[in-house]
Amino acid sequence: MEERVVEREFGELALNMGPQHPSTHGVFRLQLHLRGETIVKVVPHIGYLHRGVEKLSETLDYDMLPPVYERDDYLSPTSNSLAFVLAVERLAEIEVPRRASYLRIVVAELQRIASHLVWLGTFGLDLGGALGGGATLFLYCFRERERILDLMESLTGTRFHTNMNQIGGVRYDVYPGFDKEVIETLSYIENRVGEYREALDANPVFLERTKGIGIVPPWLAREVGASGPVLRGSGIKYDLRKNKPYLSYPEFEFGVPVGKEGDVYDRYSVRVEEIVESIRIVRQAIEGLPEGPIHSRKPLKSATLLKPPKKDVYVAVESPRGELGMYVVSDGSSKPYRVKVRSPSFSNIALIPHILPGHLVADAVAILGSLDPVFGDVDR
Amino acid sequence: MSFLEGFAQGIVLLGSVLGVVAYLTWFERKFSGRLQSRIGPYWVGRPHGWLQPIADGLKLLAKEDLIPLKADRLLFNLAPVWVVVISFLGFAFLTFTSNWVLVNIDLGLLYFSAFGSLIVVGVFVAGWSSNNKYALISALRTAAQMVAYEIPLVLSLLVPAVLVGSLDFKDIVEAQKGGWFVFFPFVGQVSILVFLLSALAEGNRIPFDLPEAESELVAGFSVEYSGMKFAYFYLGEYVHLLAVSLLTSILFLGGPDGPLFQGGVWVAIKTLAVFVGILWIRWSFLRLRIDQMMLLNWKFLTPLGLLNLLIAGLWASLNYNP
Amino acid sequence: MDTKKISSVTLLKATFLSLWLTMKNLFRRPVTVQYPATRRPIPERWRGGTFALTTDKGTGEENCIGCKLCERICPSNVITVEMEKHSGRGWAKSFILDLQACIQCELCVQVCPTDAIVMVYGMETPVTRREDLILNKEKLMANEKLYPAAWARGLKLQKLHEPEREAEEKREVVGK
Repeated sequence: MEERVVEREFGELALNMGPQHPSTHGVFRLQLHLRGETIVKVVPHIGYLHRGVEKLSETLDYDMLPPVYERDDYLSPTSNSLAFVLAVERLAEIEVPRRASYLRIVVAELQRIASHLVWLGTFGLDLGGALGGGATLFLYCFRERERILDLMESLTGTRFHTNMNQIGGVRYDVYPGFDKEVIETLSYIENRVGEYREALDANPVFLERTKGIGIVPPWLAREVGASGPVLRGSGIKYDLRKNKPYLSYPEFEFGVPVGKEGDVYDRYSVRVEEIVESIRIVRQAIEGLPEGPIHSRKPLKSATLLKPPKKDVYVAVESPRGELGMYVVSDGSSKPYRVKVRSPSFSNIALIPHILPGHLVADAVAILGSLDPVFGDVDR
Repeated sequence: MSFLEGFAQGIVLLGSVLGVVAYLTWFERKFSGRLQSRIGPYWVGRPHGWLQPIADGLKLLAKEDLIPLKADRLLFNLAPVWVVVISFLGFAFLTFTSNWVLVNIDLGLLYFSAFGSLIVVGVFVAGWSSNNKYALISALRTAAQMVAYEIPLVLSLLVPAVLVGSLDFKDIVEAQKGGWFVFFPFVGQVSILVFLLSALAEGNRIPFDLPEAESELVAGFSVEYSGMKFAYFYLGEYVHLLAVSLLTSILFLGGPDGPLFQGGVWVAIKTLAVFVGILWIRWSFLRLRIDQMMLLNWKFLTPLGLLNLLIAGLWASLNYNP
Repeated sequence: MDTKKISSVTLLKATFLSLWLTMKNLFRRPVTVQYPATRRPIPERWRGGTFALTTDKGTGEENCIGCKLCERICPSNVITVEMEKHSGRGWAKSFILDLQACIQCELCVQVCPTDAIVMVYGMETPVTRREDLILNKEKLMANEKLYPAAWARGLKLQKLHEPEREAEEKREVVGK
């Protein structure tokens, strides 16, 4: 990292919320200029987690890539591999059977719930402190999330990087007790999340810390390219599952929560309501799971057999952070020519230098938490 | 009592307070563990982990003593000692039963609040001498917060004194034999509320623990301290908290007064109850930002404390029999 | 402070509800599992342990024919296979699997045409030297006897993925 010359005015304190910090949600260096406690200038530095995934994918075949992409946004792994798999299926014009599409939705929405639970827990840590009320909320959210991860483990074998999406369908099929377990887990989570909402929604300390903080006006969100709960918190109703539907989302009924003012509280309530909506989707999907095959290509033998035609395609899915897009350029061979990942967290944290100045240091942490960046996604 | 008797009693008091505080840390870890759906200490002294405080103490003693290169050595070493000594000194004036107190001064209440406000100096010196921006910001916040919350603290402490007409703890305890001050209409409840909130802020506990906010300023003013010096800050905070709980039970909850028998056991039970309440609040709430804390103090607690004292004073002057 | 829109009663109620929430948890059972004393039951489809090379149950011959399909599919390039041919079929002369870089994606298991490579339920397989993580053929064949094999097999997964099979037949293959 090259050293940049820091311009500083007299009376300003330059503080480094450095790469190692309990609250920057990953490796992120935020160079703050403070006057007293008020922030006057912010310079973010990223790139600490760059792993070169896009370059690596030029050397691997299409079928080998979904497990690699799952490691991008490591809090909701199937959204990344889903985006990639949809892109390649559109390139090669492969149709996916309905059962596979439903199973993909079930896994994606379960991981959305898990990701939002992680967000809620770490948001509590940011606001409340690792030795205090925040830790209580953190441990509760992770306890509920363990139930979802147990479900994933029973279905696929690993808790997290499930490697469920494959080009042409899904890898695992459900087993006979699965739907009962899912429904039980979902009602447990709904119950618990209801309890947390009761305690937090009108909690005076929580309201003081989150109302009116970090207001993102709609024009700014549009200009920067923010998406997901950040965009919806500012009042713009744009959800890829409804506006540009993919998989079998049109067959399900669910709402899209939208905030009013674009402050931290609105982003919180959008995410918590998204958990409730995801629970609705999973219930509908599990109850209406159609019969049929789970793959539409011949069983995988060699990855070099898939040679899509020479085209380029862009497909985006709604990950818990926002619009996760994959732009895949194929040159006719079995390895992609170029894959570009449009990562939602990268555009979301571009809001930071615009909305942070004027707030206090304590708010910086709350705002950063509410944008929900995942640095595996920002740096790839 | 002669000097030697007093000295011996002082040593006993010191030792027992240390022991009680060590096991209060164990109790807090167990309690907070159960609140968070987990077991607290378990392995050291199975099955309840009761040897954990001893293990922690030994570990902290064995740690390397780090002093930052450009830190002010004298002040750096002085600050934790100051905090601990002042916190312990406060205990010398509190009465545990109706007739035993270490130092019999008839201005016990005044001395206690005086010693309570001296702790700020130690905390601020710690932050300044660490030569660390995070510690400095935290020290500034702490100084502002602790000095500001002195006012409602003293205002609410004065209410029992005004109602009784004396600053001596023994007299206040005697006067509550008829009815505890917390049940006094309006004045009792408001004073205990103001007192507890200010005491939480003085002790840097959640919801007022922004000076030590782990999420922003990792460990605040004590960030550069390691080993036993860090333990001193921790210890000082606990001793102060224990003293505050004891003070609440003496001033507002009747002290040794109780239904079946009188005595020190009731003091212990009430102190523990207040302490559990403070822990419960700590593990259930999020923290307030520094300017919101200040707003709460200047716009809510101080006027309320003044009004409260005024009403108490009016009542006392109407019922004054010298 | 925008709490003007919310009534004080709601605020006070929420304060007490958050205290009640933690108090409720005080009386629930803790979710801690004391690990080495209690082991968590491993689900059937678990993949996360180490690998094994299987032998045929009837004849005792090695299943691996050295076709190198697993080597080609691995995204992390951890497998290296050398093939030799004799007695009318192929054999794996050497088979090196570097566990240090394995991402446990199970693609190698999925493509194997003879169910030779499988993952096993070896949950506690940490080692103290890096060399022990590079599994050669002897260690892989020994793992088959040390640990029970996992649920996923190459042929099973491939049958699961056949697009033309009926749903009922597939249910039998899956089982649980």
